Amino acid sequence: MIAYLVTILTLVSIAAIVALALNLQWGLCGMVNFGIVGFVALGAYTTALLALAGTGPILALAGAVAVCALAGGLVALLSVRLSEEYLAIVTLGFGEIVRVVSLNEAWLTGGALGLPGIPRPLIESVPSESYDWVFLGLCLLALAAVFLLLESLTRSPFGRLVRAVRDDDVVAATLGKNVLRTRVVAFAVGSGVTAVAGGLQAFHFSYIDPSQFTPIVSAYAFMAVIAGGRGSNRGILLGACTVMVLLEGSRFLKDFVEVLDAEQLASIRLILIGLGLILFLIYRPQGFGREPRRSAGSLLGEAAADGRERTS
Amino acid sequence: MSPGRPELVAPLAVEGLFAGYGGGDILKDVSLSVPAGKVFTVVGPNGSGKSTLIKTLAGLVAARQGRIALCGRDITRLAAARRVSAGLAYVPQEHNVFRNLTVGENLKLSTEFLDGGRLAGPEQRERVLALFPDVAERRGLLAGNLSGGQRQMLAFACALMANPEVLLLDEPSAGLSPKFVQEIFQAVLTVRDAGVTVFMIEQNVAAALPFSDIALVLVAGQVRLVTAADRLLAEHDLHSLYLGEA
Amino acid sequence: MAQLVLNGLITGMIVALPAVALTLIFSILKFPNFAIGAMLTASAYIAWSLNVLAGLPLLAAAVLAALLFALAMVLTDRAVFRPLRERGPITLLVASMGVSFVLENLCRLAFGNLARNFDIPIARPHRFWGLRVNQEQITTAIVALAAMAAVYLLLRHSPLGRAMRAVADNPALAAARGIDRDRTILWTWAIAAVLTTIAGVLVGMDRAIDPLMGWSYIISIFAAAILGGLGSPVGAVLGALVIGVVQEVSTLVIASNYRQAVSFAAIALLLLFRPQGLLGQRRIKR
Repeated sequence: MIAYLVTILTLVSIAAIVALALNLQWGLCGMVNFGIVGFVALGAYTTALLALAGTGPILALAGAVAVCALAGGLVALLSVRLSEEYLAIVTLGFGEIVRVVSLNEAWLTGGALGLPGIPRPLIESVPSESYDWVFLGLCLLALAAVFLLLESLTRSPFGRLVRAVRDDDVVAATLGKNVLRTRVVAFAVGSGVTAVAGGLQAFHFSYIDPSQFTPIVSAYAFMAVIAGGRGSNRGILLGACTVMVLLEGSRFLKDFVEVLDAEQLASIRLILIGLGLILFLIYRPQGFGREPRRSAGSLLGEAAADGRERTS
Repeated sequence: MSPGRPELVAPLAVEGLFAGYGGGDILKDVSLSVPAGKVFTVVGPNGSGKSTLIKTLAGLVAARQGRIALCGRDITRLAAARRVSAGLAYVPQEHNVFRNLTVGENLKLSTEFLDGGRLAGPEQRERVLALFPDVAERRGLLAGNLSGGQRQMLAFACALMANPEVLLLDEPSAGLSPKFVQEIFQAVLTVRDAGVTVFMIEQNVAAALPFSDIALVLVAGQVRLVTAADRLLAEHDLHSLYLGEA
Repeated sequence: MAQLVLNGLITGMIVALPAVALTLIFSILKFPNFAIGAMLTASAYIAWSLNVLAGLPLLAAAVLAALLFALAMVLTDRAVFRPLRERGPITLLVASMGVSFVLENLCRLAFGNLARNFDIPIARPHRFWGLRVNQEQITTAIVALAAMAAVYLLLRHSPLGRAMRAVADNPALAAARGIDRDRTILWTWAIAAVLTTIAGVLVGMDRAIDPLMGWSYIISIFAAAILGGLGSPVGAVLGALVIGVVQEVSTLVIASNYRQAVSFAAIALLLLFRPQGLLGQRRIKR
């Protein structure tokens, strides 16, 4: 039972990292990323390939972050001048490409069989019976680091700028080119964060294949962000925990309702997520948490003031 | 007002009208009466409430108090589209034609979805098109490809298709080059001579008044003066009127 | 090569139907409907149930499925999209993703992951001038062309079509002209649902029905609509034909698993070099 809890917590913290990344992109910047699972997969495969090549876990993870940030930046660049709808479509397409490549380029990704034997970090230096605890610690550490990074980013002039831009098209239009760069950077940072989650997932299972990266990963992230309240990192943590615990908990449902097989249970879960998304959007668009609402003007005023303080 | 003597009933009459957005009232106790067959023009400084007045008449802003009557019939509570059916047509200041539809389709749509009575028959259509030959000969063109002046004419034509008693014009000269401004006001007279009473608001006082019969000066949401348009031009100092010294 | 172009045109005709549906919804409701793929899947399953489970002939099953599915989408609009109507495109598109999850997984829950086939006889392919054409392709071409012509006539020459184009063009003026926006929107969903049902049945005849079938078309559908400038039904049809042919011809060079990737590449190139679409007008917000 304890072992099971440790596993669940590990998975929750990985999912929370994905949700935090989506919160930066969608919650703060209004950039919808329907292909976030593609970035998780890209991060996982890059980490796995580098680790298998013997770079060591830290370098492997760093490489994955770099690759995903670059890919995210490119994806954002494609559509950042256009209205948000296009980004949603491009990201969806990106996710699909990652899936198709991971499935078909067997020489690189192992195809449907996946990549086994990914070396886990610290595996030699820790007694095997307590390894799961140590790995959970690593995941929580990563989650804390990501949380602090995104919190400080949110409060920085940069964060205020992206929020101002999200809330007010006129402000966005007046600021022009600066804003484009800011949005591309924000999306790239979000993608890099997603890569951390992908990498941790690869280490956790020490085995990856395309079936781990289905749209359900994106669905969890969207559900967590909307339940936690767009824009609030703290709310997202809570949202991610709730969503994962509820959904993982639904596994136990199988023991009670024997007519349902695993496949049907998976579809019920996705139906619930879909309904949950819709109900939250209609009845509680701020989610359980909430970002303090402020006018674009006050946000920008502070951003400008901060800028002045820095230069003086 | 005695319903027994319809010739004395004004096409459009307003009594004690209050209206506004949000907290305060923009229109404060506006009363006016538009005589039949005239061009009635409301002028006033920026923010005087002209635009609120015409939107309230058209049914886009709700009246908070007071009464609007069309040919003696109370229309204060009618929705915008119903007022058109009742005989009160409105030409918005901008975006007043469907740009991606042809001129012919614009004309057709002007009455196609109105409920009751006002469906334009072929004679009405011919009568309206005879007033605007420029529009008539471009029936197959997309409205977005017309010039600014032609587009305004098309908007007039669409409004007239419903055979209204009164035509409301929201700043018809706005955004037009000076060349077209004269042309548009000439079209306003054409409409009047065809027997339709015209109520318009205008920012461009100097251009509008020569084409108007009666002028109303609105300042800070209240009626300051109603007079013959040529007398307003000739005898009053507009600036002092606007500033409230008259 | 000619064979590939022919196959591509047929694929394009199938893709064109949901692409037109997507375009209609986009121009009238102002959001990209990400449930379009799941709509394809759900409508195909409805037709399959009526055909195989209830034993109706395929044509009757398809007609009945189109009506039922139109009703379902009208109700979905009432329940989901109508309360969110004024909340902006982002909220609506995320909600459409929610609808997509629900539709697709209802199908999976009810019918499982197995591929299903319609109850139709297998016919031998015909040969014309050395080109292989099978019966399904002929049916597809006739049905799809007829559906597109019907939509074109409806939009151009019927009061409903004029109302739809008027609402798309200028909602405020349309309201002033007495056009009921909500009713126009309901009809738009109904038409979109009928178009996706036709496409769903055609895909089901050509290949098979499984829960992921809509998913495997969604990028192509969006690519077609974007190619046509998102907002022009005629553009969407042309975009679909281009996408269909490019996908088939690309199999000469790259593996056929990469069909969707080819569509994606088309979107990417277009957004880079001609964001207004091949025919459409520029839609730039920032």
